[in-house]
Amino acid sequence: MSEASVGPVSYQKEFAPFWRELAKHHLSFPYCASCDKFHWYPLKRCPFCLTEAIEWARISGDAQLYSWTIVHHRFDPDSGPDVPYIIALLEFPDAPGIRLVSNLLEVDAAELEVGMALVPSFKPRPGPTEAGTHPGLSFRPAIGR
Amino acid sequence: MTDPASIAIVGIGETPPARRSDKDVRTLTIDAVLAALDDAGLRPCDVDGIVTDTVVMPTSVPRDYVAGQLGISLRYDAAVSYGGASIVAAPMLAAQAIASGRASTVLVYFGIDWGTRASGPYGFHDIYPAKLEYEKPYGFNAQPIYFGLWARRYMHEYGLTPRQLGSLCVTQREHALLKGGGQIPKPLSLDDYANAPMISEPLRVPDCCLISDGAGAYVMTSLERAKDLARPPVQVIGTGFASVPTTGDAVFTQGSDLMTIPGADRAAAQALGEAGITHRDVDFLETYDCFSISCLLQIEDMGFCPKGEVGAFVEEGHTRIGGTLPVNTHGGLLSYSYRLGIEHVTEAVRQLRGEAGGNQVAAAEVGVVSGLSIPDYGVLALAKH
Repeated sequence: MSEASVGPVSYQKEFAPFWRELAKHHLSFPYCASCDKFHWYPLKRCPFCLTEAIEWARISGDAQLYSWTIVHHRFDPDSGPDVPYIIALLEFPDAPGIRLVSNLLEVDAAELEVGMALVPSFKPRPGPTEAGTHPGLSFRPAIGR
Repeated sequence: MTDPASIAIVGIGETPPARRSDKDVRTLTIDAVLAALDDAGLRPCDVDGIVTDTVVMPTSVPRDYVAGQLGISLRYDAAVSYGGASIVAAPMLAAQAIASGRASTVLVYFGIDWGTRASGPYGFHDIYPAKLEYEKPYGFNAQPIYFGLWARRYMHEYGLTPRQLGSLCVTQREHALLKGGGQIPKPLSLDDYANAPMISEPLRVPDCCLISDGAGAYVMTSLERAKDLARPPVQVIGTGFASVPTTGDAVFTQGSDLMTIPGADRAAAQALGEAGITHRDVDFLETYDCFSISCLLQIEDMGFCPKGEVGAFVEEGHTRIGGTLPVNTHGGLLSYSYRLGIEHVTEAVRQLRGEAGGNQVAAAEVGVVSGLSIPDYGVLALAKH
């Protein structure tokens, strides 16, 4: 898969850096250097000081599970993985203030617990999105890595 | 109670609960408006103000259509929030308009066709670009999934059990059966609940609201004028509205602890304070039960129960008709119909008129109605006059 094909078409200009970074196998988030704070989702201005000088800062990708749900009902035939699938809401110790929605793979449902350590996987997966491919990002347990 | 600023709900109307109606949303809405006017003993030409929501009605049943169809000459026109919070917060604007003389009779209506529309409520969230880009591709694409995530976190934090979630669903189904005419006429036991198909863990089918076609409406005027009308007036004794600074994109995942309904605490404090009442004075609560979990959170966040204790509160039967705080006395969005809460307002009025029927709360004098359209929250305190 070429870098350009990772992720959907961006609906807002400020959304695009996430996918450009992801194509290079990096997780990056909007960051205001003067506040030393991250924010998510991307905004036009830092929500804390209202500056337009927003950087994108790379993080390690080490994540913790804030919550999860296993989805058994398919709501939209045109988006999302086949059911059942795991939706995870993740926090990042090196990007406080951000939570990321993703999918969990290679995990036994019985092992799921709030706070468990996870790592990203940048392997593209087939699946419907607005752009026809699944974003090349999912997470799996850090244990045994 | 003779404050000249006081207003009352003097007429209510709603179409029968239905998953799919053979009438379109404009027909349903006009039917509900005419039923509300008829209930009040008023004619369309008596209406001179309309309050709608800002998002759903303007694109499906705009107020010019209603006014043009019915022959209403407006001198007051306003809108607040969208969907659930709007329906409940509309009297805040109506009270100001009537008190200032800018309107004498204000109509609120809400109709929905999400029962027949292909993407139903799920497509509504496509108005949020970050959701489309960062959530939908992973399959985070429907309200039961958002609230499944919330419910799991709350369970982790406070030890809420599946049985407690089920207790809320079972209680509300009992209420719907007592009332009759709801969308699901079938009883629900805790065993039925435990065996119901999973939608998005831990939420099962009964944890999720119905999907409906239908409409409702209510009419307000000054309390003074209300005394001469057809029905016993139900006084608006307090209104509250509050929102938090977060975008619609971020509201289900960022910022808060995902265990608090934004604005519910402040809107409730505003409405109860304006009414000069405490939680103990409230005889029943109609609150926005889009999901079992969101209903539970609102009971806590409005201050009717300490944080973390609502699971036990429901399991002990406090929210049943006959309990200390009957909640969603018609079965709510879970078991009666899902018209984003216009049915909560009409139900509260029936209760306070003493004409609810089999689900009547004994000696109901004060009722609270609340609605969410996250991150907005509306609260309405009503009293028998």
